Amino acid sequence: MTAVLIVALLTGAILFGIGVYGALSQTNLVMIMMGVELMLAGAMVNLVAFWRFLHPESYSGQMFVLVVMTVMAVEMAVGFGVAIARFRAIGSVEMEEAEDLKG
Amino acid sequence: MGAQAFFLAVFGLAAIGFGVAVFRTSSMVRSALALLFSQTAVGCMFLVMQTEFLGVLQIMMMATEMSIMAIFMVMFMMDPGGLGGMDMTHQKRFSIGAGVVAAGAAIAVALLADWGPVTVQAPAAAMQTRELGHELLGRSMLIFETAGVTILTAMIAATAVAIPVQRLADNGDKEVSE
Repeated sequence: MTAVLIVALLTGAILFGIGVYGALSQTNLVMIMMGVELMLAGAMVNLVAFWRFLHPESYSGQMFVLVVMTVMAVEMAVGFGVAIARFRAIGSVEMEEAEDLKG
Repeated sequence: MGAQAFFLAVFGLAAIGFGVAVFRTSSMVRSALALLFSQTAVGCMFLVMQTEFLGVLQIMMMATEMSIMAIFMVMFMMDPGGLGGMDMTHQKRFSIGAGVVAAGAAIAVALLADWGPVTVQAPAAAMQTRELGHELLGRSMLIFETAGVTILTAMIAATAVAIPVQRLADNGDKEVSE
């Protein structure tokens, strides 16, 4: 009976792994944001599966998914704001050219 | 339950396949579209798990978000069409290792933990929406309000960061943008 839960959790885990690879390997800011989006998608799949198959009586699980969606929207807004600022300043959003941001 | 597991696996495989395609294509527009399809498959997984409200919300939100992302890709990438075959990656081996370790740890927890009995019957869609509304405007109201204020703050901050910096020219009476 736990097969459905396991299928959802495995999908979430693999999506998270792909997202980690993307966020660490890409040199472009927008592509890094895509990796973060995949990581958050993996987390959301797990949250919905936990709510649906383990605790459907408690709606905190769905609430948590809405919070993760908010984080996705905020990440996109701030990320694109930073991308525009970087593009205006140096004409590129390549993170290998962002060594001046080092502390 | 068998049909649910089957469709969950189908949409899960689609989400993973399109997720891999995001980082395998040279064309940035194709990357954005692959991410859109991956996120849509995740939304379909929500629908299969009978979470109608979140599933529809996920699909609608991601369709808009990824369309904007595709436009930004064309604006900012040096080679948006991927015709030059540029390699836009670095520290590949470390990244693959980190991704495998992260996924492996999560898979180990999923397989080895004792999850207990699984609930077969999900609440009806109307009941879910009603209860989620009560949750949002009751016990979790502070979290809900905080999320709203955070989005507003992010919108203002992103606009402030994105607008060109204005400074006074040397003669003092004319503004120029950098």
